[in-house]
Amino acid sequence: MELQLALALPVHNPVRGFDLNDLERAPKEVLLEGSEPWSCRSTGCLESEKCVKNKRTSEEAFGKIDIGDMTQTLQVMLWSGQPNEDDDRKGRKCRNSYIINKKEVQENNLVGWPPITSWRKKQLHQHQGGQVINNDRAVDRSAGGSNSPFVKVKMEGVLIARKINIRLYHSYQTLTDTLISMFAQYQKNYKDGASYALTYQDKEGDWLLAGDVPWQTFIESVRRLEILRNGRGCAG
Amino acid sequence: MDPKGKGSPDASGLARVGSTFPDEVMQIVLALLNSHRDRSSVSLVCKNWYDAERFSRTHVFIGNCYSVSPEIVTRRFPNIRKVTLKGKPRFADFNLVPPNWGADIRSWLLVFAARNLCLEELRLKRMTVSDESLKFLSLSFPNFKALSLLHCDGFSTDGLAAIATHCMNLAELDIQENDINDKSGSWLSCFPENFSSLEVLNFANLRNEVNFEALDRLVSRCKSLKVLKVNKNISAEQLKRLLVHAPQLTELGTGTFLQDLTSCQYSELESAFNKCKNLKTLSGLSEVTALHLTPLYPACTNLIFLNLSYSALKDVQLAKLLVRCPCLRRLWVLETVGDKGLEAVGSNCPMLEDLRVFPADTFEDIAHGVTESGFVSVSYGCPRLRYVLYFCQQMTNAAVATIVHNCPNFTHFRLCIMNPCQPDYQTNEPMDKAFCAVVKTCAKLQRLAVSGLLTDVTFESIGRYAKSLKTLSVAFAGSSDWGMQCVLGGCPKLRKLEIRDCPFGNAALLSGFKKYDSLRSLWMSDCKVTMNGCRLLAKERPWLNVEVMKEEGSNESRANKVYVYRSVAGPRRDAPPFVLTL
Repeated sequence: MELQLALALPVHNPVRGFDLNDLERAPKEVLLEGSEPWSCRSTGCLESEKCVKNKRTSEEAFGKIDIGDMTQTLQVMLWSGQPNEDDDRKGRKCRNSYIINKKEVQENNLVGWPPITSWRKKQLHQHQGGQVINNDRAVDRSAGGSNSPFVKVKMEGVLIARKINIRLYHSYQTLTDTLISMFAQYQKNYKDGASYALTYQDKEGDWLLAGDVPWQTFIESVRRLEILRNGRGCAG
Repeated sequence: MDPKGKGSPDASGLARVGSTFPDEVMQIVLALLNSHRDRSSVSLVCKNWYDAERFSRTHVFIGNCYSVSPEIVTRRFPNIRKVTLKGKPRFADFNLVPPNWGADIRSWLLVFAARNLCLEELRLKRMTVSDESLKFLSLSFPNFKALSLLHCDGFSTDGLAAIATHCMNLAELDIQENDINDKSGSWLSCFPENFSSLEVLNFANLRNEVNFEALDRLVSRCKSLKVLKVNKNISAEQLKRLLVHAPQLTELGTGTFLQDLTSCQYSELESAFNKCKNLKTLSGLSEVTALHLTPLYPACTNLIFLNLSYSALKDVQLAKLLVRCPCLRRLWVLETVGDKGLEAVGSNCPMLEDLRVFPADTFEDIAHGVTESGFVSVSYGCPRLRYVLYFCQQMTNAAVATIVHNCPNFTHFRLCIMNPCQPDYQTNEPMDKAFCAVVKTCAKLQRLAVSGLLTDVTFESIGRYAKSLKTLSVAFAGSSDWGMQCVLGGCPKLRKLEIRDCPFGNAALLSGFKKYDSLRSLWMSDCKVTMNGCRLLAKERPWLNVEVMKEEGSNESRANKVYVYRSVAGPRRDAPPFVLTL
């Protein structure tokens, strides 16, 4: 219940018909908090306002929220045991709505269903990054839960993110060279040679400008990368 | 006919009829017999044949490690060199069996070593294997050649290091999909520099980076290497180097295939693939989000098995690839290919026998999974289909009827409609008609997995028509005990029955007590069976092991997880506290 208050989101109406602009702040706040997606829960509304305030400048800098991330966040919250009362979920082709008509099984956390082996699940979740449900608990991989060298790279204004193996690079130079070639196709609109800044999210969840720390330290703490245009970076 | 036998005067006459073949001839003949069933039949003819068979048997397959003990096995077969063992019930793969359940290989290895077995090959599925066991294995059997672990747990990369270090004659190391404590990739560097006998190396599911130079040198040295499946940390550039050293590969599992390559690297990769003329199986290909599969094309001409089940390919990408694979017989894909992708399968793969469509990340709201229409398209284009595993969002009775009409030769039909108890989405009826059509049409059906909203009608049909059925998997189905009773009363060839979350209770369980002698095992979880029912069964059939797994805080009289299996070894001696043998 507190979860609902803090985020001002109706639990059972997650993705469709969601007005991004109104609720822009709330889910981003969750993401930026780091590993616990619902860390604002116990502190109630007031605290969450404060959280939002602190992050506001970064928000403004980063602009629009990635819809994909938000969907995943919301699904994690829904998974936290809220009973599902919503009828129109049946119409959705969302795979986490294991609605069973039987009386015995009311919760949405069926063990071992659908019958996909745990290895296959692990492989897929590593592959696609984002948040993972391990049958009983949520593990936020993007906040450094794992050893995985794979890091998502987004470019501001580009809808499709890429994924790279950070361990394949030996220096900031090789990394930026690769990123430039990867995203070259999106630069054609900005032929005036706009400058770019490479920012990253570290394992604490903070967004920083890449290049300040030694390479080794960087690869150990980087979780996500984002390329910003026109030299815009975060405040801190 | 044996001329010697007919002509030779022999005092014991008729009593020696069974041994008219001299032993040497018998051994030569038996050495050619590989099928376990044939060997079992041979052993039942007479004492002499029994003895001849048991001394000549080199390979033993044990489908349930608790059905027999290592002492019994080694006593009967003193000369075995290859052992295949399966341990936990299959639903352990889906986290339905608590950890530390058992099926530890340790006791087997101790007995094998004590009896001086010349162990060469060990293939384990769903067993618990510790690092100590692996080390013991590597040190106790100097001729050890092949280790294959599938869906096992309990070991770490330290165990692999021991195998690499000590097994001088290792030809096969296949660590596919195990619950391994992946500490580091240094195990690979433990292969001695002069070691060159490797033919199969599969470490696709390990997450830690191995030393690439060590791998490269290993691949260069092992001229007989046929199967190489690397993990995600191997880049496309590195893969190219490996391929250049091993163009003789028949099976390849790539690493992170997708990486932006310079045009020089790209053409080098393509030409490396071009040299791999013997490639029959291709897998891996993870991280393929945009189409960069073109370097692969030269190697696709002879491909028989394409495993794209870790590649989030879309329909267009799949279609382009399939056009290059005219010989394809086995295809595994993710549902991201959608119905359109399956249409491409139907159009391009006339030789297809095995199709598996797996779900993608279950928490991503993918608008396109696959539906009944994709499956139907495949059935029109691939009449030779005999094995299908299909995860889908929706299905209709009519579609399934059409599918089996087009492909009556199914031996394995595993349909998983992902929402439990979902009816035919067009008619809102139960999916009974679908599975009735399957069992009536597919006379050769050996394995069936059902799903969707099902009443007892389905099980009546299964019991009546599924004459060749060996394995049946049921979840969230049936209306009453009658359903299970029908299955137990019919299905003459049934060997494995696994049931979860069905309204089958004691009456159903007890109706099959004669049947259980011919089953390898029965699994029932979250059904309506009680402890009393299980006790009754155990009493009726004292030679069956009736095990109940108790969960904390559950109803005392309910038997939540029941595992019943036949055994000549008696009750388990290593059962953990939560397993009660009745």
